[in-house]
Amino acid sequence: MDQIAADIVRDEEVVTGETPVTTSRSWYHYLLIAVAVLFTAVSAAFVGTILWSALPILLHHPGELLTGRGWNAPTGPFGGLAMITGTLETSLLALVIAVIIGLGTAIAIVFLIPRRLRNIVATLVELLAAVPSIVYGLWGLLVLAPFMENTVDPWLNSWPLARVIFGNPGQEFGTSLLLAAMVLGVMILPTFVAISREVISVVPQDLIEASLSLGATRWQVIREVVLPTARIGLFGATFLALARATGETVAVALIAGGVANVQFHLLYPGTSIAAWIALEFGEAQGNEIAALMALGVLLMLISFGLSLVSRALVTRQRKAMSIV
Amino acid sequence: MSELLDLERAPAPSHEMREEIRRISHGVRARRIAVSRAMIALCGVALLVAAVPLLLLVYQLLKRGIPVLTWKFFTTLPSTPTLIAPNATGGVSNAVVGTLALTLYASIMAIPVGVLGGVYLAENNSRLATSLRVIAQTMAGAPSILMGLFAFSLIVRDLHVGFSALAGSFALAVLMLPVIAISTELAVRGVPATLREAGLALGAKPQTVSLRIVLPAAVTGIVTGCILAISRAVGETAPVLLTIAGGFTNSWQLLHPVSALPLSIFENAKSEWPSQRAQVWGIALVLVAFVFVLSLGARIWASRKQKAGK
Repeated sequence: MDQIAADIVRDEEVVTGETPVTTSRSWYHYLLIAVAVLFTAVSAAFVGTILWSALPILLHHPGELLTGRGWNAPTGPFGGLAMITGTLETSLLALVIAVIIGLGTAIAIVFLIPRRLRNIVATLVELLAAVPSIVYGLWGLLVLAPFMENTVDPWLNSWPLARVIFGNPGQEFGTSLLLAAMVLGVMILPTFVAISREVISVVPQDLIEASLSLGATRWQVIREVVLPTARIGLFGATFLALARATGETVAVALIAGGVANVQFHLLYPGTSIAAWIALEFGEAQGNEIAALMALGVLLMLISFGLSLVSRALVTRQRKAMSIV
Repeated sequence: MSELLDLERAPAPSHEMREEIRRISHGVRARRIAVSRAMIALCGVALLVAAVPLLLLVYQLLKRGIPVLTWKFFTTLPSTPTLIAPNATGGVSNAVVGTLALTLYASIMAIPVGVLGGVYLAENNSRLATSLRVIAQTMAGAPSILMGLFAFSLIVRDLHVGFSALAGSFALAVLMLPVIAISTELAVRGVPATLREAGLALGAKPQTVSLRIVLPAAVTGIVTGCILAISRAVGETAPVLLTIAGGFTNSWQLLHPVSALPLSIFENAKSEWPSQRAQVWGIALVLVAFVFVLSLGARIWASRKQKAGK
């Protein structure tokens, strides 16, 4: 958490670092190089082993994994469409929830809360970001799911329009894609708030004071000066929150319902890529392990892609700043 | 021309006109202030909306968790409830021991490599260092279930070790490694260049400067990074789910199956026995308390050190 925020805020320092010191050929020099090579080897093994284990499926049934609809346990075919759509639905909805509430919260922490309380609130947010995701999953399963089943789902189903959007399962399941998205939203909220609070609070004070002195109201300062200045950092926070939501495993496994159906009605149970791996792995044999590994490759591609995009954004921002 | 003259000789605005201008500008100003107040209030509402579920979670964790915590909870092995004894859940000593063992072994594997890797990143700008930095940042963001898949394929299956503490702690070590390396790099880069240069100017060898001057100066940041990495690893469920096979004894042995606190939450949360579902809250409370103590402790210690340094 801290490193991530520090990374975004202080990224510039990393690039303009010190000149190399260990240039002579000593045992220490070789030790450091050996460790660096070991590190690289572990990372290569990480990608290689998962890819290798997924090969039987990646070579013979790649199309099925991306577009197939059924998951027929011991023999196949193994279709991953339900997991892919489930991941997209839950993580994007969670992101919308977290960004809307989180941006307001971050602004409120920086501009509304008295200076003395600010550090305490910031520490609390960071602690909440450190709560293990299994605890959120537990809370969702034992507290929220019964509440959804008895109160929210019947209420939503009593509206004709809501029934069209959320679907009418006939029976209330409690655990559903909607619940998973909501809990994911609450779970990535502290992460998003912690980073965006830090990004917003490093906006130079003289910019803020200059626009205040020109007669701007506080909201105008926030909208015209603070948010544009912090833009790239906020994008970074958004991508990190999205990455956390798409990779989240056990919480979604507990509360999404664990059913491999392609489902766009959010009150029905569903699953996500990561959650499906966790749920199925215990019983998996032979080809199914390869299929789950192939889902893992998919997850890896998503995660690497997200981190690539966010790094490219930060680099572009740095270049733009250096021209100005 | 004539217009200009007209303007110059323009009569002073009448009383009504002045009133009109004042009224309009008042209106504009009032609207701007109203919008500003409304939006700021909306942000305050967002803060409340964000706080409610999170406070609710903490409240329920305390309310349902505290009654479960007894001496027996920590010291006895779990047992399965039966129809005759529906409340006989036993304790979670195997999970407590398992979590401690996994964390210890993972730290032994990850901390030396992570710290030295971070030092390497901070002191080199070679091509290997640049690509390693990208690799570390990418690995730090990878979903934790992938570490489980990796440790399963490599340790459990290909090396024939089987489900064991070794496989679980390896998965956690892979998770901690990039986090430690990145925070170490930041800490080492934060050491003032003057310190290094002073050491080199005195004729110290580069490794002496690195080991005796730079590392001691950066130790606060390095230790904080390690503790935060540990506190993240302690709560992870997905990597251990695929690798340790939830042993039912108090085992510190590297090659035996062990249990872990997050794993027993995952397995018992869906239990049909109300007593087991109730006990899960106690496990969750212990886990959260552990994580909070670690990260708060690291933070307070680091800020004390920083103040002392200044």
